[in-house]
Amino acid sequence: MASDEGDDGPLVGRTDTLAEVQSDLRNVGPGGTAAVFVTGESGVGKSRLLRETARAMSATGVAVLSGTCLDIGDASPLHPVLQALRQHDPELRQIDQTDDPGALLDRVSRDLRAVAGDKHLLLVLDDLQWADRSTRQLLLYLLAGLGGIRLSVLAAVRAEALHGAHPLRRVLAELRRLRSVRVVDLSPLDRDQTLELVNAIAGGIEPEDSDRVFKRSGGNPFVVEELARDLRDGRIELSDTLREIFLSRVDELPPKAHAVVHAVAAGVEPVEHTVLARVTKLPEDELIEAIRAAVAHRFVASAAEGYRLRHRLVAEVLESEVLPAEAAALHRRYAEAMEGSGGADHARLAHHWQKAGEPARALPSVVAAARSAEQMYGFTEAHRYWSLALDLIAGDAPERTELLAHAAESAHQCGEHQRALTRLAELANRSDAPGRCELHLRRARYLAAAGRSATAEVEYELALQAPDCAPRQRASAAAYLAELLVHLGRYADAYERATEALDLAAENGTTADLVRASAALGFSSAFREDPDAGLAVIRQAVEIAERSGHPDDLGVAYLHLAELLAGPLNNVEEGVLVARRGAERLASLGVGRTYQTRLLAIAGNGLFRVGQWAEADQVLEAAMRHRPSGADAVELLLARCRLWVGFGDIDAAHRDLDAVATLLAGGGARHVLPMLTLRAGLAMWQGRWAQARAAVQRGLTETRSDDLVLLGVLAWHGLRAEAEARAAGDQVDPGAIRRLKTVVERMAEGVGTAANPVRAVIDGYIDLCNAEISRIEERHDPEPWIRAAVAWDRRSQPYPAAYSRLRRAEAALTRKTRKATAVVALREAYATTIAMGARPLAAEIVATAHRFRVALADDADTVPINPPGPEPDDELGVLTQREREVLAAVAEGLTNREIGERLFISERTVGVHVGHIFDKLQVRTRVQASRVFLTAA
Amino acid sequence: MTQSVWGPVRQEMSDLLQSHPDDVPAVVDQLTKLQDILGRVPPLLADNPLCDFNKLYLTITEGVLERLYGGKFKDPAFLSRLDVEFAARYFDALRAWAGPDTSPHCPRVWTGLFQRIPGPDCRPLPSACAGVNAHINFDLPFALVTTFDHLGTDPIDDSDQHHDYLQINEIFAVAIPGLRRGYLDKWQLLIDTMNGRLDDWWQGEAVEYTRNVAWRNAQKLWGIRHDMSATDKERAHLDRVAAQLGGLLLSPLGEFLQ
Repeated sequence: MASDEGDDGPLVGRTDTLAEVQSDLRNVGPGGTAAVFVTGESGVGKSRLLRETARAMSATGVAVLSGTCLDIGDASPLHPVLQALRQHDPELRQIDQTDDPGALLDRVSRDLRAVAGDKHLLLVLDDLQWADRSTRQLLLYLLAGLGGIRLSVLAAVRAEALHGAHPLRRVLAELRRLRSVRVVDLSPLDRDQTLELVNAIAGGIEPEDSDRVFKRSGGNPFVVEELARDLRDGRIELSDTLREIFLSRVDELPPKAHAVVHAVAAGVEPVEHTVLARVTKLPEDELIEAIRAAVAHRFVASAAEGYRLRHRLVAEVLESEVLPAEAAALHRRYAEAMEGSGGADHARLAHHWQKAGEPARALPSVVAAARSAEQMYGFTEAHRYWSLALDLIAGDAPERTELLAHAAESAHQCGEHQRALTRLAELANRSDAPGRCELHLRRARYLAAAGRSATAEVEYELALQAPDCAPRQRASAAAYLAELLVHLGRYADAYERATEALDLAAENGTTADLVRASAALGFSSAFREDPDAGLAVIRQAVEIAERSGHPDDLGVAYLHLAELLAGPLNNVEEGVLVARRGAERLASLGVGRTYQTRLLAIAGNGLFRVGQWAEADQVLEAAMRHRPSGADAVELLLARCRLWVGFGDIDAAHRDLDAVATLLAGGGARHVLPMLTLRAGLAMWQGRWAQARAAVQRGLTETRSDDLVLLGVLAWHGLRAEAEARAAGDQVDPGAIRRLKTVVERMAEGVGTAANPVRAVIDGYIDLCNAEISRIEERHDPEPWIRAAVAWDRRSQPYPAAYSRLRRAEAALTRKTRKATAVVALREAYATTIAMGARPLAAEIVATAHRFRVALADDADTVPINPPGPEPDDELGVLTQREREVLAAVAEGLTNREIGERLFISERTVGVHVGHIFDKLQVRTRVQASRVFLTAA
Repeated sequence: MTQSVWGPVRQEMSDLLQSHPDDVPAVVDQLTKLQDILGRVPPLLADNPLCDFNKLYLTITEGVLERLYGGKFKDPAFLSRLDVEFAARYFDALRAWAGPDTSPHCPRVWTGLFQRIPGPDCRPLPSACAGVNAHINFDLPFALVTTFDHLGTDPIDDSDQHHDYLQINEIFAVAIPGLRRGYLDKWQLLIDTMNGRLDDWWQGEAVEYTRNVAWRNAQKLWGIRHDMSATDKERAHLDRVAAQLGGLLLSPLGEFLQ
């Protein structure tokens, strides 16, 4: 939509916006990224704003890359970003096949990093409403900081696009909640600004004339400019519409320039000179002269990479003026010109052939485009190409069968379940359709993915009964069916199926089937209280996978074993060991990046649960180095964030939560609830009860009623927030408490039907919830806390156990009963939290110890450090309470950062306190300050 | 704009519309505040037609929230997202409303109701229904498509999401005691005339019928959602049909429904 760089009118009424946009782009969030999305109607000046901002930022040493999304409906994946990269460096290789989608994003990021060098990178994307799905995902990946680039994104979106059901609508709605993202709505000019612009262009215009311009343009700067030019050029009657303005100008063009304008309008911008020459069939001299005329008449803009129309609005006017036959002829010439030059963009070629009314000739390009989109994991785009191919081909064409198969599979891969099933139904009706068993199998897989488990189960049964079912297919169907039954929680049925599937697979199946059947058998046995048998089966599957040596088999087998151990069997240590061994094994083969990431995530989460947080930190760090994307990245970020919340590293926790929110702006309901739980946990450490409450309430409305574990975590967080609020002397929310109690009742009712391993976890949360309720009611009852501590000890989860001990001690000490055992509990909790590095919890334990004057360790002086009040002749009497706390920490030799973490204030605030302390004590170094403190104490 | 359509509550209105609720409790909160503000728009105050609609919408959304807390939906994440996305469109329309002829981005179907805020007075039930018409016949299909797209699934009949979606009909039935049989039949007839789809009509009942039309329309939009110009065309079409129906509801003809 760009207009000629040198041909811009004056920029009116946007000075403030321009400054704000620049400052927002520089103001990167904790993840080192920032984004500004400019929305507004066509012609309101979005592209201009983008251009001016890019120019200004480039002048201050920012690396700038610009790309434009195409409106041809089906662009190739990542088009605008790859185009921007190629424009920057034409030598840049084409992106070739990579291992997985994550690796592709990583490749693009690496190229972007290379462009940026040591500069900050500004990525400018115009017409984002036309961006393909892959581009949107890349954008979120980069903004979440996963590309490892400090960058800002400036993108323009047509406001009209956001009114319907455009995917960007939700993306922007989610992103605008982040501090590092701004959505700027560019409004039309007001009366005064219109007047200013009219006068700047035409000069000395009568007020009533500029008033008329304002009325007719509605303040749209593009229209204002054109109308002002009309005034300047002495056209008496102002045109009523943009259409009239341009049509009268088209008439004034010399015939060859006329042809050039129409040719550019039919092309996909930017149109290269050589292509334009072939399309217009004009000799070089005449062509150049015609282009000059078109530029002079303000239709065409010329830039290094090719020609464009000055504005999209002009293209729309011209589109309706060209006869259909004329347009078809132009498109044919484009297609021929592109085919002639070789190495063409399949997507564009397909577009032109289609518009030329020669669908059959488009077919090869469409199929090629579909295949290349699949290579770039652009399944959505691939699916659209396969569908397009089907539209291009007659019902009786023999190729249709193969196309249908591809279309169904790609629809399944990009989550278009209904479409996948429809395609499959058509495929089934073909005379040369695949066999019945094959069809049932595929239908079952599609149905299962669509969440229609009951129907999927029937289809698997039908596949098994089909007369043409080969032994290998039978093994596969049985294994899939067993897996489905495990997911449905029908462990008895699953066990039976899996046993049968394992026999079938052992005889005729692939290793994948064998592994799948073993896993189903293992999990169903474990849930049916025969854990050892289940474990033995999965261990055997690992051995089989080891023999096959195939990375997928290995990855899946190790994953299942680690999940079973760390999950239902609650043998976390061994689960962690297996997960790490699996990751190492795959790393030694140099493959299976995704599996390695997932295995390390299991290890990290397991280590967190057993309280080995430092170790968990290292493992997660290693996993992040694999540069995960999508759901894997979200899971790792959540795991790491859980760790930050436990450590009390507020900034890092916020950073990871923002990154998760950024990725989830593209979809992914499954991860919203863990994110909300962490948000609540973090808000609680900061004393922001309202935030914690809101996160929990939202979580409760979005959790499935049968997911008792998630409900348990949420209810505990909610009740704890209320209890903490009460303890802090703040308002509690009676409505919230009532609802949370209902949830606890629901859990208590439902827990009976849960499988054994799950029941223990739910019981643990019910204990915690009841204990928090007693705290809210200020009963100071140690009993429920004792129960909770025991429950979590049994689950070998020291963190909630230590928390329960703290509360137990607190209740007992408040009641002044059984003080000795309370002190033991408090000390135990303290030792545990210190060992884990759970600083906020440790700080609470220390505070509680101070409050009740309890020594936390025999050799440490933890009895009240701070005297109850300042004594007048004390040398430290000049200091405030807070300053004393800071000074005490300085004397311990802590850095400002460490002090900030301990006292929950920012590093800068600590600096301010230290400055005041130095002034008041009249010292100049930390050592001197410490000496004063120690002498006085 | 020196003069606002909202009169003395202009500032409160624009402050309230600054926020974009992102969960159902927040939507209920926003609608509650809106109810208070709308009740103070002169000259009709609490008797203005938008007030009547907002009240009904608030009741229905509270009903949804209650069922969410009660764990009554199969896929609460879907229903919550839908509710939020649905409400966002109502708030968008309010944001875009600056008065007749000066609100190019306000859907026509909403414009019809909004411009009746200063009067003349019309009966509460047709007013509420005009709002329901705008919201369900126009906003809902788009909200459905956006929600499905965001959650990475698609509108399949008989799915968990479809069942949850149909549950809202029960809430409507409870919330509109005034919608008696006879009234429903007449309304059906109206909708039917507008949409011209007799076959669907026989399967449904009033609001339920309308909401099924919305589901069908969402499925239709789903198929063309990648084609921006086709989506725009369909949007304009739905807006036109719904606006005509809304016009009828607010016309003297609408009185016969009462």
